[in-house]
Amino acid sequence: MINLQPYGNPQYFVYLIIALLPLIIGIYNGYRCRWYQSLISLVFIFLMFDGPKSHQGLMLIFYVIWQWIIVGLYMVYRKKYNNKWIFYLAVILSIIPVATVKITPAVAPDQSNLFGFLGISYLTFRAVGMIMEIRDGFIKEFHPILFIEFLTFMPTISSGPIDRYRRWIKDYNVVPDRDKYLSMLDKAVHYIFLGFLYKFLLAHLFGSIIVPKMSAMAIASGKGLSWGLVGYMYAWSMDLFFDFAGYSLFAVAISYLMGIETPMNFNRPWQSKNLKEFWNRWHMTLSFWFRDFVFMRLVYAMMKNKVFKNKNTVSNVAYVLDMALMGFWHGVTWYYVAYGLLHGIGLAVNDTWLRFKKKHQDKIPHNKFTKCFSIFLTFNVVCLSFLLFSGFLNTLWF
Amino acid sequence: MDIKETVLSILNDLTGSDLSDNLDTNLFDTDLLDSMGSVQLLLELQNQLGIEVAVSEFERSEWDTPNKIIKKVEELMN
Amino acid sequence: MKSSKKLWMIIGPVITAFLILGVLLLLPLRFDHNSKLSEEKAAVSLSPQIFKGRQFKEQALSGKYVPFFGSSELKRMDPYHPSVLAAKYHRNYRPFLLGNAGTQCLTQYFAMQTILSQLKDKKAVFIISPQWFVAKGDDPNAFAYYYSKLQAITWLQHENGSKMDKYAARRLLQMPSGRSDKFIKNLLYKAKFGHKITRFDRFRLDVDANILNHEDQLFSAVGLNNNLNKIKRGEKRLPNSENYSVLDKHAYSYGKKRTNNNRFRINNNFYKRRLVGYVKGLKGEQKNFDYRKSPEYGDLELVLNQFAKTHTNVLFIIPPINSLWTKYTGLNSKMVQQTDNKIVHQLKSQGFNHVVDLNKYGSEPYFMEDTIHIGYRGWVKVDEYVRPFMKEKNKKVNYDIKNKFYSYKWQQLFPSKKNLTNFN
Repeated sequence: MINLQPYGNPQYFVYLIIALLPLIIGIYNGYRCRWYQSLISLVFIFLMFDGPKSHQGLMLIFYVIWQWIIVGLYMVYRKKYNNKWIFYLAVILSIIPVATVKITPAVAPDQSNLFGFLGISYLTFRAVGMIMEIRDGFIKEFHPILFIEFLTFMPTISSGPIDRYRRWIKDYNVVPDRDKYLSMLDKAVHYIFLGFLYKFLLAHLFGSIIVPKMSAMAIASGKGLSWGLVGYMYAWSMDLFFDFAGYSLFAVAISYLMGIETPMNFNRPWQSKNLKEFWNRWHMTLSFWFRDFVFMRLVYAMMKNKVFKNKNTVSNVAYVLDMALMGFWHGVTWYYVAYGLLHGIGLAVNDTWLRFKKKHQDKIPHNKFTKCFSIFLTFNVVCLSFLLFSGFLNTLWF
Repeated sequence: MDIKETVLSILNDLTGSDLSDNLDTNLFDTDLLDSMGSVQLLLELQNQLGIEVAVSEFERSEWDTPNKIIKKVEELMN
Repeated sequence: MKSSKKLWMIIGPVITAFLILGVLLLLPLRFDHNSKLSEEKAAVSLSPQIFKGRQFKEQALSGKYVPFFGSSELKRMDPYHPSVLAAKYHRNYRPFLLGNAGTQCLTQYFAMQTILSQLKDKKAVFIISPQWFVAKGDDPNAFAYYYSKLQAITWLQHENGSKMDKYAARRLLQMPSGRSDKFIKNLLYKAKFGHKITRFDRFRLDVDANILNHEDQLFSAVGLNNNLNKIKRGEKRLPNSENYSVLDKHAYSYGKKRTNNNRFRINNNFYKRRLVGYVKGLKGEQKNFDYRKSPEYGDLELVLNQFAKTHTNVLFIIPPINSLWTKYTGLNSKMVQQTDNKIVHQLKSQGFNHVVDLNKYGSEPYFMEDTIHIGYRGWVKVDEYVRPFMKEKNKKVNYDIKNKFYSYKWQQLFPSKKNLTNFN
């Protein structure tokens, strides 16, 4: 049985682009062949989840039905009423599958893959985002087919980027004019080849060649600080970036070919001057999702109800909660949670420093050197957090 | 006090700078406003002008300069 | 600009790039000739792409290079390593090292397919490690690491339904790598049952071989391991005299200095990096190891059969195991001796008479570089056999291959003296 993992090897692109060709020619000529787009998406999703992955495929089907019922019912309810408890209930029900998948390995290690499938958390972000926007009254219609198409949008199903329904539907309902589409094609070609460089060359170099060497060196040197450990930290961080950024470039490029402008996920994260900027450049669709649906709502609620007197306390508390939640989302292990807390606290410290700097602008130097230093510092803090995130310390210590 | 003045005074409080001469400055790119500041802006608009803006509605690209904010507020007031 | 022109500006370069690549890979051209330096580098690189490929091996072995088949001991590049000795003393040959950690008989057999004409009527050295002969045989992961489609395609081009071919097809089909490509898998099944390959399949084999050969010619020089400096450094350390008593003393003191952080006379770095944390757990841990019954004996027969077909004049070397180490780990030395006996029997009874069994040197100080890898004085001892073998004028050799050594019965035969002599 043929099973094709998304963007797994260069051949995948040949199959995918050949399959998309009729759609591409159509859009180029001002026509979006919707049934063909749905058919191709279905075929490629089927090929991701068939054969050895058919259990995951089954779970995906159950999951989509589950979300379809929750979002659909909540839409029906929201047209007439707006009780906040019903809203909370809808959100909780929508999160239950992913929460089960993330928590199970921590409680029952042998059952880990029972409910999961590749991409479950990304689908959850899309669904939960929709429920929140339905509550706020910005999504007014539940379209039973388009909901599924959005939730399982083929180029991004496995690992994002996380799109928003209102943005996605706007693209889906129109056909980009020819000039616009040409510029999208231009970007798509560029992104695919940049993605090749990232994922198949650089990520391979760091991930399959350097990381194992460093790992062996670090393990040989024992539990403490060693050159191997330092090397591992940087090599793993580079691997993570090139692998994920490469994948995201592919997903965005294929979306563009389909005439949908899926948002970018990375924007030169390593040139960030502080942690806050880093999160505006790294895994952007995730951090913006957390910003819009967690952080801002948390701050809004705390300020409105005057939970804390000082607004700086509000933002610091929100940072830590927001990032800790993101840590939990990665999985219930000590190192993911520690990673989240480190970033939450880091952002709070960062904000305090920025306020201090603003107050004492005249006394604190601001020049090329301080800029380079801040980039260097941010880079190292981030790499340190990725060392935590990698779980390598867990292997090394326990 | 008209809408424009109110908005500018709120922004002045939040950012610590007078923006009446820079009505097209991008508030986010220049680090004058962040998510925290955005929420404060929404709350102040609610307190001072009585307009309810849900967080969902806060699409950054539609709120990123003083001019755009003034326009948005005017729309919402009517 | 018109939009059709814009479109061409976008996808034109991609199409052109693919066309150029297509031309490079498909046309019947040869992009060969490596410089002398890159040849020297490739001969000692031990890189998998050299091992799996063709072009470098083919060119070098057509010249003064002689294949040295082996496994991880080839990595022990101290000053007495065969490559260093040959270069330092300006011998008439240079070793081309073929093998690395995990290359066993089956791997060697398939890698040999790309150099059959270079093996014909030539000399070769083959180092057989007793450790290969584990009950499960060749490890599929290690096999996959050194396997290439080029090997399988070239093999399929040559196969003609002999006993060797059927056995090799069966073994390759047992490896996940052999089953990974559908086209190759189907042809292997045909070969396993002795069915003829159709003309269309043969055509496809030729096209695939052409593409893979070009890929190898164009890209296998990329990212070679550079071990040349180790060889050069070794040359500087060696004495000018290649007299064996001088060399042996030299190796003795060289080895002594480098094996003094442990009681096993194991190289200090190796001990520090690979053993120090685990030593305690390894005490007595190998007392149940057994190399006497293994599918590896069948794979060895494949290698021998191939050498017989190409009439290659081969010197076989069986290295010893560090006896301080085996005493500690409990490895049964009688079992090792019986393993060696079985290997030697398989070789000699088929006319492979250049066999050096170094088993008895396991207790010689500084003969081994670490646990199971020959080094220092061991390499000097190897050279005592290699040098005269290389000097000797080459004559065509004929071997007497006996199919019974492919049998399961042989693989599982307990190698007592009586069993060996009575085996039919």
